[in-house]
Amino acid sequence: MIPFLAQAQDPMTRAELIADDPLWLILLKAVVILLLGPILTIFLIVWERKAVGRMQNRPGPNRVGPGGYLQSLADALKLPFKEQVIPETADRKVYFLAPVIAAVPALIGLAAIPFGPEVTIFGERTALQLIELPVSVLLVLAGASIGVYGIVLAGWSSGSPYPLLGGLRSAAQVISYEIAMGLAIVSVVLYAQSLATSAIVDAQQSGWYFYLLFPSFLIYLISMVGETNRAPFDLPEAESELVGGFHTEYSSMKFAMFFLAEYVNMVIVSAFATTLFLGGYLFPFVGADSPLNQGWLPVLWFFAKMFVLLFGFIWLRGTLPRFRYDQFMKLGWKVLVPAALVWVVMIAAIRAIRNDGNVSTGQILVIGGIVIVVIVLLSLLLPEKKVPDEDSVPVTGGGYPVPPLNLKVPETTPRRKALQAKAKAARKQEPAALASTKEGSNHGDV
Amino acid sequence: MVLAQESAATGIGIYLPLVLLFALALAFAVFSVLLGPLVGPQRYNKAKQAAYECGIEPSPQPLVGAGRMPVAYYVTAMLFILFDIEMVFLFPYAVSADALGLWGVGAVTLFIATFFIADFYVWRRGGLDWN
Amino acid sequence: MTNVFLAQADIEAPPIDYAAILPMLIILGAACVGVLFEAFLPKHQRWPGQVTLSLLALAGAGVALGAYAGDSPERGVTTLSGTLAVDRPALFLWGTLLALALAALLLIADRSVEPGGAFVAQAGIAPGTVQDREQVGSTGMQTEVFPLTLFALGGMMAFTAANDLLTMFIALEVLSLPLYLMCGLARRRRLISQEAAVKYFLLGAFASAFFLYGLALLYGYAGSVRLADIANATAGTDRSDTLLFAGLGLLLVGLLFKGSVGPFHTWTPDVYQGAPTPITAFMAACTKVAAFGAILRVLTVAFETTNWEWRGVLWAVAIVSMLIGAVLGLTQTDVKRMIAYSSIAHAGFLLIGTMALTDEGLSGTMFYLLAYGFTTLAAFGVISLVRDSTGEATHLSAWAGLAKRSPLLAGVFTFLLLALAGIPLTSGFVGKFVVFSAALSDGMAPLVVIALVFSAVAAFFYLRVVVLMYFSEPAPEGPSVSVPGAFTTAAITLGVVVTLLLGVAPTFALDWAGAGGFALGS
Repeated sequence: MIPFLAQAQDPMTRAELIADDPLWLILLKAVVILLLGPILTIFLIVWERKAVGRMQNRPGPNRVGPGGYLQSLADALKLPFKEQVIPETADRKVYFLAPVIAAVPALIGLAAIPFGPEVTIFGERTALQLIELPVSVLLVLAGASIGVYGIVLAGWSSGSPYPLLGGLRSAAQVISYEIAMGLAIVSVVLYAQSLATSAIVDAQQSGWYFYLLFPSFLIYLISMVGETNRAPFDLPEAESELVGGFHTEYSSMKFAMFFLAEYVNMVIVSAFATTLFLGGYLFPFVGADSPLNQGWLPVLWFFAKMFVLLFGFIWLRGTLPRFRYDQFMKLGWKVLVPAALVWVVMIAAIRAIRNDGNVSTGQILVIGGIVIVVIVLLSLLLPEKKVPDEDSVPVTGGGYPVPPLNLKVPETTPRRKALQAKAKAARKQEPAALASTKEGSNHGDV
Repeated sequence: MVLAQESAATGIGIYLPLVLLFALALAFAVFSVLLGPLVGPQRYNKAKQAAYECGIEPSPQPLVGAGRMPVAYYVTAMLFILFDIEMVFLFPYAVSADALGLWGVGAVTLFIATFFIADFYVWRRGGLDWN
Repeated sequence: MTNVFLAQADIEAPPIDYAAILPMLIILGAACVGVLFEAFLPKHQRWPGQVTLSLLALAGAGVALGAYAGDSPERGVTTLSGTLAVDRPALFLWGTLLALALAALLLIADRSVEPGGAFVAQAGIAPGTVQDREQVGSTGMQTEVFPLTLFALGGMMAFTAANDLLTMFIALEVLSLPLYLMCGLARRRRLISQEAAVKYFLLGAFASAFFLYGLALLYGYAGSVRLADIANATAGTDRSDTLLFAGLGLLLVGLLFKGSVGPFHTWTPDVYQGAPTPITAFMAACTKVAAFGAILRVLTVAFETTNWEWRGVLWAVAIVSMLIGAVLGLTQTDVKRMIAYSSIAHAGFLLIGTMALTDEGLSGTMFYLLAYGFTTLAAFGVISLVRDSTGEATHLSAWAGLAKRSPLLAGVFTFLLLALAGIPLTSGFVGKFVVFSAALSDGMAPLVVIALVFSAVAAFFYLRVVVLMYFSEPAPEGPSVSVPGAFTTAAITLGVVVTLLLGVAPTFALDWAGAGGFALGS
């Protein structure tokens, strides 16, 4: 209670610093954050192409600019001048709206990420963060999930089968992994006792959460790849199955918007992971008062950590083959979500027991809870056997009788047998025929 | 802790930067989307405007929205809503977990266990299997 | 603002009176276990497992209720930070609900009348398809019905005990959602069953929305969703009456819908007709108890002081309900629809007792609910026995001359119809008597006269069926009367015995019903 009051009396908390910003500073920050996404996207694309190229023993883009590094800038400049092709079956209003819906949440996602501590910009004290909310974690999560509307609507409004399937897949995928991601974040919130990103960073001064909460970090990493539709979970745009997925029918700048959203989302989830698990802008092993954690230097640490994670994305793409869809959903729903839930309960219980030295009435409840968790774990170990369903009826067929799914196709049919017998008989007769007539010699030539 | 500071930062005003950024992002996205038709070439033909199906004639398919979707997606959607609500309740719990103590842990465990009951049912009945 | 977060440092767990809410916990817990049964038991063990579990749960809840009710405090207790009020009316209604649910569950569990039970083997099959015809002949059954019934029952119990509007809304949803589902599970006549489910769901969703709007307005009025706080707020005069009465009106629309009171009854005939008969029995008996239990509590606890303002409206509603039930019931040609209209008329009678807001009104209405529940449940049990090759023969023409084929069944049904009509020596008579006398002593004489007239009109259509059964020639291709299995026999016997018992010796039940009032404090 006492540190609370002390903090509240401090005239310049982080929230107040940010709330005090004059308009020009807010505008400056907003523009920087807005541009950060596209700039990082352009850099990421060329970086990814060159890195994946290296991994595959080829140089990657090497023509445009020094070392080929201006390749994606050139691509970006080219895209507006491409013809836009709209299928006539498209629902045009939604078709135009979808890329906007996908891009806007991505572009504002970085607003709540703390990039650095208190600094002075043109004589104005402020913190390197656009907006400090008591619930900024939820803001980032909300932004990530609104983006999926863009993808679904893009698939739906194209009026074409492949995008529709891609959009549906994408929706199912993102929402499935969002659960696991959210549950991983719950354990961070549990430790930091706050939903504010900057408070979570501050709470990591004594230790980064990626080793304190390693299972959560693991679940977050996996689900962040699933959430951004990246390899090996890039099923919505599986080229071999769905052509381009939800953006098959998009071209020109509208296509660029989806591309931008995808890469900016990568940046956001990486920045978010840095904030939640990797100590944000803090330099390891030194306190927040150390000169290493003052001024503009921490921004460097932040970006270094974020780029490590981003390189992870690229590395995955260069290494792993794509998952099959059923395996992917199985991983999400049958492994990550239960594991995350059990983990949340476990750390909540451990933390509460550590805080409460003497166990009270809650004891019974906790023991009951642990029993349930044990049952849950045991039942997860149960072999998954199909319950035999003796009187099930096939649901497909639209009212017409359908052949059973386990229909045995016979090796040969009577007709084929007859044909074979005939051929055999003919072959037997052939030598005789050859001997008797000269016609047989023409067989080979014709 | 940070919530307590909010009283100092002025109410709804702290959302102003977000609104500003939203406006900027919206302007950027709308401008980009509208840029294509303005500066790009426009040479349309019948084949270009057909829905893409790897070069074959587009199948006569149900119009947008009237088509039916595989029912498995609905199951996933419903499960998502269930678990998302669970998550929504877990966040406030997590923020005040220390204040709630062991009693809170017991309550939240019961809450999660209830969800597992539903989860087991769906799981065993094949609601999570895709093929 | 700071204070709020400082208070966070020590959050006290609300005390829970486990003994008081044990019956509800048993039912809801058994429902959860039932879901696990569905998940883990092999198919052939599910039916016996579920039936055993459900019956045990009902028995256990009954025992827990009996043990608690014996020495429960006179004024009742509120528990779970004042969200549930376990008082004498709540205990009586819980007992009624448990007993009715037991009978309904026996009907649901019966598999001898219809091979495989009245429920579809797989709910996802479209009506009229090959698969649909195939599953009619199978003996499989969607055993999810049992946990769904228990969930609905748990919701009803919470509904009658809810001490704030938000809890009441949650309970309303918990009781409604399983019912929507169960309506669509009839093995035969799938299309009409699914139609009933969709209609019930859509209209029920509307009713829930009305309830929620009303809740919001009342919250705006009183600044609290607690019934006691709303009552306190109505004592002060400086607030907007518009909010209060708009809120009350919308809230009542939601509640009256559940009680199938006309003019909010439109779903009743279709749903009663389309739903599987055991479910219809469950709905007709238990939902009515729950809905009127909640109406009683809301009106008595929260709105007693304003009763002169809303009583006129409820007068009109009661009259309309009786009118619709009695007059439209006359024109029905389907037995299930006829009973549905009868339930609308009875809802009107019940509303009269509810409006009285006296101790006699309370005990009379609760007695009426008990009596009506058992009678209507047994009536639906009998209806499920009259069958032809396509399933139940519910058209009235099929019932012609039934007394000649099966005198026992016709006799039982006649007795039940007379009870519904309110003939002396049946529970229906006593129920009407106590309700009307409570209304009379509260100065509602004109309404009682109107109600008596409509009782007479309604009696006519019950007697029509009696006449049809005894004095008509049986149709040549008429239905046969199935020999009921043990479960159905038990359910019908229970219903008939209670109807008779309450008609001959109603004192003990009236004593229970009048044991105490609502817990008024928060």
